[in-house]
Amino acid sequence: MKKRPGGILAVYKYLDHLTDAMEKIRDRADFQGHEVFSPTSYHEIEHAGHFGASNVRWFTLIGAMTGTISGFALPLLMDYDWPLTVGGKQGGILSLPAYVIIGFELTILLGGLATIIGMLVTCKIPNPNQRVLDPRFTDDRFGIFVPGVQENSEQARLLRECGAEELRTIS
Amino acid sequence: MSDDVKWTKTISDVNDGILVTLEKPHPLFWVAWLIAIACVALGVSAWVYEITVGMGVTGLNSPVYWGTLITNFVFWVGIGHAGTLISAILFLFRAKWRNTVNRSAEAMTVFAVITAALFPLIHAGRVWFAAYWLLPLPNTNNLWVNFRSPLVWDVFAITTYLTISLLFWYMGLVPDLASIRDRVKGFRRLVYGILSFGWRGTARQWHNYEAGYGFLAALATPLVLSVHSVVSWDFAMSIQPGWHTTIFPPYFVAGAILSGCAMVYTLLIPIRKMFRLEPFITPQHLEACIKLTLLTSTIVAYAYGIEFFIAWYSGNEYEWAIFQKRAAGPYAFYFWTMVFCNCVFPLIWWSKRMRNNVAVSMVVAVLINVGMWFERYNIIISSLAEDFIPGSWGHYQSSPVEMALTVGSFGWFFFWFLIFCKFFPIISMSELKLIMPKPLSPKKSKGG
Repeated sequence: MKKRPGGILAVYKYLDHLTDAMEKIRDRADFQGHEVFSPTSYHEIEHAGHFGASNVRWFTLIGAMTGTISGFALPLLMDYDWPLTVGGKQGGILSLPAYVIIGFELTILLGGLATIIGMLVTCKIPNPNQRVLDPRFTDDRFGIFVPGVQENSEQARLLRECGAEELRTIS
Repeated sequence: MSDDVKWTKTISDVNDGILVTLEKPHPLFWVAWLIAIACVALGVSAWVYEITVGMGVTGLNSPVYWGTLITNFVFWVGIGHAGTLISAILFLFRAKWRNTVNRSAEAMTVFAVITAALFPLIHAGRVWFAAYWLLPLPNTNNLWVNFRSPLVWDVFAITTYLTISLLFWYMGLVPDLASIRDRVKGFRRLVYGILSFGWRGTARQWHNYEAGYGFLAALATPLVLSVHSVVSWDFAMSIQPGWHTTIFPPYFVAGAILSGCAMVYTLLIPIRKMFRLEPFITPQHLEACIKLTLLTSTIVAYAYGIEFFIAWYSGNEYEWAIFQKRAAGPYAFYFWTMVFCNCVFPLIWWSKRMRNNVAVSMVVAVLINVGMWFERYNIIISSLAEDFIPGSWGHYQSSPVEMALTVGSFGWFFFWFLIFCKFFPIISMSELKLIMPKPLSPKKSKGG
């Protein structure tokens, strides 16, 4: 297994301190690969991180389109394979309005499944090798982890200046 | 109602407050759970009896081939409506009160739809043949299913609804399961670690998670409205008087939301007590839920009125005859139960004092559930029993086996729901934190 990099972990109590720090370190090369932790999804963090649009949307779009196409293709192909004339009404393209429902349901179903897959892929989960740097990050604290730097470095000083309540080395 | 609930707590109290549920619940919990198990046992025995002896043990006979079992199916699908409505539609509308009730409403949806899905199978009698007439599998004659049949549409609608609701609910749980993982030790830590997929709560994860959650909500919104529309077409696509009307889809959707919201209220009150969640599920949240129920009650009352009016105005004598018989015929008791429970009793909620009276509101919410059950019963039975030709008229009476299956379905629903309450956070912790005051530094909070 690849060894996970050590570094420093700054713990923040306040959201504004965290976003201040994020703004300052965002584009700096000496903070390359840093990670930010939060107990929930504050929009301030998203804005400070400049993440851009999430790629989950492509998964949703492709899933939903596949669903629409297969939702219409399924009954049509089955109709042409063995036409069922029910109540004097023929199958196939003439019965298309009835297949709108199958098309709609499969659009939602495959769109939803693809969205979930998209979330898992982009969030990089399930992840059996995850490490919990601090259990408080799923409770009430925020954090920034910077790989490959020491506690007495310039980076650590900056994080502390932004209001970190705690700074420690992760080996 | 104002969304700005005045919290005296901070986000630091959320996990501690809610995860109490993982410790010792109120003794009432165990009593409720044992009652649920007893009901399930009754239902299972009734089903075994039905399979062994045959469908003759139900009250179903010509001309009424849909009875209590299909009523239960429609009822439970309806109950399953409010969950995704509260989760998805109120999420898109940014109604903040949803954040305290969405998790239990979603769980209710999942278990209600699972309960509903049992009934077409129970109703089929020889359940082992179900796969051939429900799913697009070629049978021995190499025929496919008839895609123009509303029953096949319904299979697609219910399956999609169950799948999407389940995924929506579970994705919401993942960050909370990670919170539990970070609090517990030993074997439980391993279990919650696996269940939470190794969620770490990084900003990037939250960013993608939020995007995906939004898309799921956007996909689930038309789904909520469509699923009961499709259920209503099971009836409306036939030519049976009393069923063949275009009002059915919106009428069924409103009814489903009414019963679902009433059930959310019915569940929230005991849960709040059993798991000591009063500080989180506040009277304002309960009142918001009641207001939504009251709104849908008025829509349902309007639908009942319009349905009657059109039956007369259409000039169709069969249609009009059915409606007269519903109100004054052999099934009049069910009709008036439905009207009083769904349209009259909820009127008490126009008074703010009554909305805030938990005992009164609980009684009304339970009565709405009863009324909504009778609504489905009334629609299904009365239209089938007496249609066009007097020579084919009949009468339907629910048999003890069907009643036992109904009781069993309630037991089955509560059995799963209570298990969920014991092992998973009933309130979405990560979403609750979002509606609490933001943890800003003292300087910042003063300044801004």
